[in-house]
Amino acid sequence: MDLRRYLPLFVSEAGEHLAGYARDLVRIEKGVREGAEVKPIIDSLFRHAHSVKGMSASMELEGVSKLAHRAEDLVDVFRKEPKSLDAAAVDDLLAAGDALQAMVQAAATGEKPEAEPAMLARLAEAARRCRAGEPAPPRPDPARVGPVPETRQPPVPEPPAQEPLPAARHRRLRVQVEIATGCPVPAVRAFLVVKKLAGLGAVVQSTPGVDDLKAGRIPGKRLEVLLDTPEPVPALEKTLAQISDLASISVRVAEAQAPAPSPVPQKAPAVPDASLEALRTVRVRTEILDEFLDSVGELILATARVRELGKTVPPQHRPGLLENVDRLHAIVKDLHDKVMTVRMTPLALVTERLPRAARDIARKVNKQVEVEVSGAEIELDRAILEELSDPLLHLLRNAIDHGIEPPHLRLLAGKAATGHVAVQAHRERDRVILEIADDGRGMDPAKLRAAAVARGALAQEAAAGLSDRDAMMLACLPGVSTAEAVTDVSGRGVGLDAVKRTAEAVGGTLEIDSVPGQGTRFTLRLPLTVAVQPVLLVGVGEEVLGLPIGKVHGAAQVALSRLDRARGAPVLPYDGQMLPVHDLSHLLGFPEQRDRDERAVVVAEAGEGTRVGLAVDKLIGQQEAVLKPLGQPLENVSGISAVTVLGNGRPVFILDVQRLGVA
Amino acid sequence: MPKRVLIVDDAIFMRNMIKDIFSGSGFEVIGEAANGLEAVEKFKELKPDLTTMDIVMPFKSGIEATREIIKQDAKAVIVMCSALGQESLVMEAIEAGASDFIVKPFKSEDVLSVVKKVLGEA
Repeated sequence: MDLRRYLPLFVSEAGEHLAGYARDLVRIEKGVREGAEVKPIIDSLFRHAHSVKGMSASMELEGVSKLAHRAEDLVDVFRKEPKSLDAAAVDDLLAAGDALQAMVQAAATGEKPEAEPAMLARLAEAARRCRAGEPAPPRPDPARVGPVPETRQPPVPEPPAQEPLPAARHRRLRVQVEIATGCPVPAVRAFLVVKKLAGLGAVVQSTPGVDDLKAGRIPGKRLEVLLDTPEPVPALEKTLAQISDLASISVRVAEAQAPAPSPVPQKAPAVPDASLEALRTVRVRTEILDEFLDSVGELILATARVRELGKTVPPQHRPGLLENVDRLHAIVKDLHDKVMTVRMTPLALVTERLPRAARDIARKVNKQVEVEVSGAEIELDRAILEELSDPLLHLLRNAIDHGIEPPHLRLLAGKAATGHVAVQAHRERDRVILEIADDGRGMDPAKLRAAAVARGALAQEAAAGLSDRDAMMLACLPGVSTAEAVTDVSGRGVGLDAVKRTAEAVGGTLEIDSVPGQGTRFTLRLPLTVAVQPVLLVGVGEEVLGLPIGKVHGAAQVALSRLDRARGAPVLPYDGQMLPVHDLSHLLGFPEQRDRDERAVVVAEAGEGTRVGLAVDKLIGQQEAVLKPLGQPLENVSGISAVTVLGNGRPVFILDVQRLGVA
Repeated sequence: MPKRVLIVDDAIFMRNMIKDIFSGSGFEVIGEAANGLEAVEKFKELKPDLTTMDIVMPFKSGIEATREIIKQDAKAVIVMCSALGQESLVMEAIEAGASDFIVKPFKSEDVLSVVKKVLGEA
């Protein structure tokens, strides 16, 4: 039996369990600190470890299974005595989770990873220590540099495997098999199936019943068994595949939660059961969704091209053709919307790991931090989410490293010793607003101005002219950091720059608000989807260019000669402001043309709250465009961010107004 | 490495026939037993990957032998060789821990298909 076909599913499911495992650990530690009831979470943690153990054993990944078993043993100590859990043990379990995750990833490439003996010994020692109620050995000073010996204790002999495994989560599975027509004794076959299933769990019901089978009765040569089992579906399928003479096999989840055959009354599970959902959902590799979207994008372009062609057919045929093109367009649009819905993924995908990450970072720098995530259920295009993962982590690290003060300073400032980072998301029309706010020391605009000048990023005069809010954005300039210490762990300047660029690359923005002494808030405004965006098409000489509608405030038809001038450039009165007007043709370095006086001016956003006028030759109109990223070397060209293809097959570059060099 | 097989049957002709099916098909027949008592002894001694087991044999039945072998090694893979009309005996053997069964008269490809499946090789 080839296990490789189960590998992708195993990797994905084991990954989910390990993510849940890490999440539970952080919640448990917090719960213990606050004296809350943690027993249900420990049970959930145990189930995650147990599931990984079972799954990996089914996949014949003994190394993974062994380590998961050791982690499960340690968790079991806390199930019996939650108070014996301490930070050192949580560290041990988290390290084991990381190791498991790495091993699962290695398994994804076909390897059979072995568990590190040091890690196995570490968990065994932790279990022994916690069982004995001993305190954790002193942790080495995190500030001290140098390798930390992993195993100072002599290796501990492996504890015997615990059998039977208590209170694993049982699901009720519906197993249906059809006995092959050529089988001379179908009832015996069916009996063998029932017997094998009984070895994997509790047979709740068998149709026909065992007595009927013993009497040789099996109408239609079909057998259906309801089984309560902790085993994953692939394990069952594997077992059934080893039985001969079965024409068909089907294993499905019958219901969410079956009582475990345990004499101990079970508490309600701390995590919602996803198995009911599993009945109605399928897993699809994300690459397929990407390909799907690409195809639909091509379809949109092709439709637009057909519409263009329609203009060239004889007039008497035109209405019929165009009517059908309209219908086609409507259908394709609907298809596109559906594909986009499928691609929507909850923000939790990237926020889930933040509490755990915060804990690790805080422990490293000897601070106390609590992360609160809200709005994680809000959905975004998966492509955007994947881009967000690193920036979010960076903002969090920033907040803890530089924002949150050490506990003693916080107490002096009249704050709680534990810092607070709030990650909040909400929808605003077609945007998702994602805020990461800390209650730390805040950023000082004066220091940022000084730092920017000192690094030569900005002239003294220009720096002084910046509003406090704009001065905050200086933190995004490479090399400008307000961290007092030079040991800049998170490399603030470079990192924030990357965050800002990522936000903009997906069509969003980054804003920073900060009140010295009170905290800093980073706000990401993100589109729900990236792929199709409305653009304004403008003509400049022979060229057609696109501007993302999100960046366009308005447009006006003006005679340049009649505009007032300031510092040599025309200025356009707009919305109570005087905006400088730049000739797009000049900005892009197009060949000089006879300057026309009567021009269209597009008012576009060129930076945080900065607007400019861009003079173009004509406004062509608005169009939905499938934006494709620029490959090398075009992505190095400043001022353009993407490309799209018009209905007539002509490629059009999308302008990146912020990088046109006019702000 | 070829899988190692122990053949248990009271009829020499049956043992030879089964032996022929296995040899030349990637299996190695490492032992034979003519009854249930011998079967248990040989299993203990040889630790085969697979045992084919006749049901009705002198001294100790295949079902008894299966029960004892499974008691020694819960993971032992035992395939019962049965005849039509022995259904209830086969079920008893399954209860005792047999992994699968074949029904006489059998074709060599059927035998190989069943044992390969049960060994997780197909």
